[in-house]
Amino acid sequence: MAWQKQILRVNLTTGSCDIEPLNMEWAEAYLGSRGLGTKYLYEEMDPAADALSAENKIIFATGPLTGTMASTGGRYTVVTKGALTGAIACSNSGGKFGGELKMAGYDLLIIEGVSEKPVYLHIEDDKVELCDASEIWGQTVWATEDLLAAKYRDPLMRFAGIGQAGETLCRYACVVNDKHRAAGRSGVGAVMGSKNLKTIAVRGTKGVRAKDPKAFYKIVNEVNARMTDREEMSRDGTLAMIDVTNGFGSLPTNNNRSVRFEGANKLNPEAMHTPNENGHTNIVTNGACFGCTIGCGRICKIDPTHFSVKDRPEYHGASGGLEYETAYALGSACGVDDIDAATFAGFICNEYGMDPISLGGTIAAAMELYDIGAIDDSVTGGIKVEFGSAEALCQIAELTGKGEGFGADIAMGSKRLCEKYGHPDLSMTVKGQEFAAYDGRSMQGMGLAYATSNRGACHLRADPYGHDFETTDIAGKAQVVAESQRDVAFLDSSGLCLFPGGCGWGLEDYRTLVDAACESDWNAERMTETGERIWVLEKLYNLKAGLGKKDDSLPKRILEEPADVGTGKGLVCRLDEMLPEYYQLNGWDAEGVPTAETLERLNLN
Amino acid sequence: MDVSVTLFGGLRHFLPAGSSFNKCSIKIDDGSRLEALLRLLPIPPEKKFIVIINDQKVSREDYAEITINGDDEVVLLPPIKGG
Ligand code: SF4
Repeated sequence: MAWQKQILRVNLTTGSCDIEPLNMEWAEAYLGSRGLGTKYLYEEMDPAADALSAENKIIFATGPLTGTMASTGGRYTVVTKGALTGAIACSNSGGKFGGELKMAGYDLLIIEGVSEKPVYLHIEDDKVELCDASEIWGQTVWATEDLLAAKYRDPLMRFAGIGQAGETLCRYACVVNDKHRAAGRSGVGAVMGSKNLKTIAVRGTKGVRAKDPKAFYKIVNEVNARMTDREEMSRDGTLAMIDVTNGFGSLPTNNNRSVRFEGANKLNPEAMHTPNENGHTNIVTNGACFGCTIGCGRICKIDPTHFSVKDRPEYHGASGGLEYETAYALGSACGVDDIDAATFAGFICNEYGMDPISLGGTIAAAMELYDIGAIDDSVTGGIKVEFGSAEALCQIAELTGKGEGFGADIAMGSKRLCEKYGHPDLSMTVKGQEFAAYDGRSMQGMGLAYATSNRGACHLRADPYGHDFETTDIAGKAQVVAESQRDVAFLDSSGLCLFPGGCGWGLEDYRTLVDAACESDWNAERMTETGERIWVLEKLYNLKAGLGKKDDSLPKRILEEPADVGTGKGLVCRLDEMLPEYYQLNGWDAEGVPTAETLERLNLN
Repeated sequence: MDVSVTLFGGLRHFLPAGSSFNKCSIKIDDGSRLEALLRLLPIPPEKKFIVIINDQKVSREDYAEITINGDDEVVLLPPIKGG
């Protein structure tokens, strides 16, 4: 058990909603969530199809541990072809939506086709209906949730949907659930928008059953006792990282012109916890996803006197605040050291449904284009798009959310923007997706992880952190990246969060939980093999989509311009030396194509 | 002499009393080694960290060899994972 053994298939073209049995052979081979969603997508759609066409499908996939009592067991993944990248997209989110979908009885929700008119999906256990969305189309994520919550009057109903950014096909529109948790990356919200699907409202009452509930309960408690190092994560969230990377010299700043940001101490946990000159404190409390015993979420308020929200009381309440990635993207990447402005831009991302990493990365690229004179006020509509301008950040964030003015350019993403204005090298992207908050010169393993990430630049597809903070020497990096990519693929497919891994859990703790919850024997060898099978299947999807070795690369800046300060000062990313070894360790040929033996070993042929 | 030491992330909770948010000044004898300086910080032995001096990462094997100068910037980072 732990799987519900059912999927819900919704065809928006025909309006049909069908419950089908889960393919258990695939569940045994791909576990759930990211892995299983990818298997269904791979089998059911042509990877070469356009991401925004009717041929693309969008899959909401829970894992076997989603909805169980295992700590952090509330995760789900949105799997589709990415609108930003044209590659496999698998965006993971927490909050409470995933657990609710699982409790409604479904491991996967597969959405296909395109609706003629805007609709939303309403699920209450076996009762499933597509409803007219004309009243909520054009509304923000927040307003949509409020309107539907008032209609259904069920405080336990959960929502995952798009804002105006998804409707207007912003390339990095995301799917937001529970108002401020998001399946953020790669443009999964644009795919939802292209299908005229506004939101999914779900309520589930069925519960989730482990194979031996008593034994599972015992193991959950044993494993929880090993989560010994979570205090810091609860207190400072992922934002604690900003001091580490800034000290180390790997905090991307001003579109990766630098790797250290002078203003980092205005965005760090101290700044978040300390009252400002008006006596306003940014953080209100921490927040937790379904069943999580860590609670790394930041619930924050903007200073009501700040220019961004002055006379706008609708933004004076508490909502999801800065995490490390948002503090980078809406802070150091743009040279902005104003915590209220970055918090406001983050609120706008949640409200309109945009990935803050890609929004910040694209604004940072625009700031560099403006700085070198490639764009001017005639393009920006008079906005002074200068590095460090909190005003420009806030203004552009809102325009992008609405798809208006210069925001329509920013909504293309950094790659398309930089190409449009004649400077493709200024786009800090891999496979069209903006960098996360680590620089691949001082963190060579992260450089390799970005380049080889199947969904485009991503900090959560591998775990090179320990090795990178230990040494800039590239010996051993290929192995660390290749092995951790498999481990992460397995963990992402379980329905649990990755962060317990930084709070005391090891791989064995995750494996023990999966083994205790699911049928059959999930030993360590099977865990590694399953992770590798998922990783290679994603790679095969990308190859069929037309991506290849040329896409396993990094921007010229990271390969040719040495880091300016920090432990990596003077270094460029030595990708060309690491990549061949990485391919070889994976059992792929020199072009990065898995060999016949590798496919056979993984039962992928 | 006084040496400036910065402790990032959760390590800051092990700063000596009277320190600022994440910085302190530690008095050591001239010619002291890094190892001796680290012994003066009340960091529990099970806490792992990385040492950076003047932007250069220091290997653990060198703690006993490296001599600290008064104008050195010593930084300790916890090896945390990203998010
Ligand atoms: S650790 Fe953070 S992101 Fe992960 S489940 Fe808990 S609150 Fe959510």
